[in-house]
Amino acid sequence: MPYAHPEVLVETDWVKENIGKPGIRLVEVDVDLQAYEAGHIPGAAGFNWQKDLQDQLSRDIISRQAFEKLLGGAGISPKDTVVLYGDNNNWFAAYGFWLFKIYGHESVRLMNGGRQKWLNEQDKPFTTDKPSFPPVTYAAKASNEALRARLAEVMKISGKPNPNLVDVRSPDEYTGKIIAPPGMTETAQRAGHVPGAANVPWSSAVDKDGRFKSVEELSEIYLKKAGIDPKKPVIAYCRIGERSSHTWFVLKYLLGIDTAKNYDGSWTEYGNVVGAPIER
Amino acid sequence: MNHTTRVYNSIVEMLPDEANPSPMVRLNRLASTDGLPLYAKLEWMNPFGSVKDRAAFEMLRDLEERGALEGGKGIVEPTSGNTGISLAALGAALGHPVRAVVPERVPDEKKAILRILGAELDVVADALCPMPGQNGGGTINLAKTHVKARPDRYVMPNQYENQQNARAHFRTTGPEIWRQTEGKVTHLFVSLGTCGTVSGTSRFLKEKNPAIRVIAVQPSQGHDIPGLRNVSELEVSALYDPSLIDEIVEIPFEVAYARVLDLCRQEGLLAGPSSGLILEGALRAQKQGAAGLGVMIFPDGLFKYVEHIAKHIQGIAEMAQV
Repeated sequence: MPYAHPEVLVETDWVKENIGKPGIRLVEVDVDLQAYEAGHIPGAAGFNWQKDLQDQLSRDIISRQAFEKLLGGAGISPKDTVVLYGDNNNWFAAYGFWLFKIYGHESVRLMNGGRQKWLNEQDKPFTTDKPSFPPVTYAAKASNEALRARLAEVMKISGKPNPNLVDVRSPDEYTGKIIAPPGMTETAQRAGHVPGAANVPWSSAVDKDGRFKSVEELSEIYLKKAGIDPKKPVIAYCRIGERSSHTWFVLKYLLGIDTAKNYDGSWTEYGNVVGAPIER
Repeated sequence: MNHTTRVYNSIVEMLPDEANPSPMVRLNRLASTDGLPLYAKLEWMNPFGSVKDRAAFEMLRDLEERGALEGGKGIVEPTSGNTGISLAALGAALGHPVRAVVPERVPDEKKAILRILGAELDVVADALCPMPGQNGGGTINLAKTHVKARPDRYVMPNQYENQQNARAHFRTTGPEIWRQTEGKVTHLFVSLGTCGTVSGTSRFLKEKNPAIRVIAVQPSQGHDIPGLRNVSELEVSALYDPSLIDEIVEIPFEVAYARVLDLCRQEGLLAGPSSGLILEGALRAQKQGAAGLGVMIFPDGLFKYVEHIAKHIQGIAEMAQV
């Protein structure tokens, strides 16, 4: 059975064949630009998740104007098909995908398997050359808030029977054994999870080579085992909103749950809120 | 080169082998000298300060022989520090530039030494979230990226997959121990990282005497002992061969730091944390009544870990504040 929206995924072979084709643009999205600068797919722009995709003053996604400036500066027009890929199994690329969709970019794809798969394939080249595309004027759409869950919405469903929440963090974070993985600076005042949330670690969605599992396997994991109801709105969260983008992508585009939202505030917001109910 | 007078034409001649073995010292106060006397093989006495001198030299020599470094190509290598230090020093002596890719959690002392040696250094942020089976992946992937993007500039020895790593120990560490113990060794205690040490040494010793027991001592999961791996993290080590290991003992990693103090204060052995871990494994075997002659390969010394050790040993930290 095919994914609900198979067109949002492209394979590494497809990318190799389409490097440099007009109307197709590649963007590597990583937590920072260290790996991009060491080497990237020829023609790919590099977006820094921390600096380019986050507002540097307020804790928020970048504004519409900043998004227009970022894409226009990279020479990407609203009509281009943009293929995103990145490190950490495409977490940050999936966050980029979510952001591109928030600002209404029509044609966005994820490269299945991410940078790791490309790196492991002998016939796939990397370069250190930076692409040079002339800047364009990019007009974004108003932000589509339907893709984004806010604290108030999460508080409202918290603790209700079957809140249809997916906590994609590790079991130790979910059960409150730890607040954050060791060494992470973004933490919270309290450990645990939103009452009623199901725990499905992000990595449940991928195979060993980083590619997404089949729709049958994904249905089994999210719908059958975790009990997510595809007819009701579903919200994914993690610690800082990047791993949950990956699961949001799975729920919305591979399983076809159109109402899926990413709660980007995630545990570093919820776990700090005074009086928020917590389960361990 | 004269190993008796210790006069050498080049630092490279000081590298250990059967004719010039790293020293072995018996423990006298921490462990019983009866039953299973324990000998520590002091790898920090190697010219660049760790067991990694052996693998680094073997891999570099292999690259030179194959002409892989012609045209001024340099080396890029993922490392928790010691292999990078050995490669950078050898590179300095032999004229090869070195770029080391280290995880952020590596002790600052090692990063500083790499910079002092002239290595280019990439410090890779620790994984934002633990990824099952991908520990160490960040540094390995970044080193591979350099090679893929600039094959004209870099060659990657890749100690995790390079058979020369294990071969170094088959050629040197194994024969040294056999000769130093006059064939009497019955137990070998080692730690696991790339698994080059255990695979090469064990293969040699078991060829000599299949009854020799090889015990790998590993830190508990979520440990903070640079350079070591828990078996759950060994996916990246192509040199890991369970058939060459008789037993794997897991030790809570904090104990390793306590044993470092014991080694310093009771034996005068200035050993690093991985040596403390191995000692604990050997002491447990001794307590369980093992008999014969035990050899512990102590990978490196104390000085690169002063801050790490202070962090883990409350007493030391308090003393430092006085």
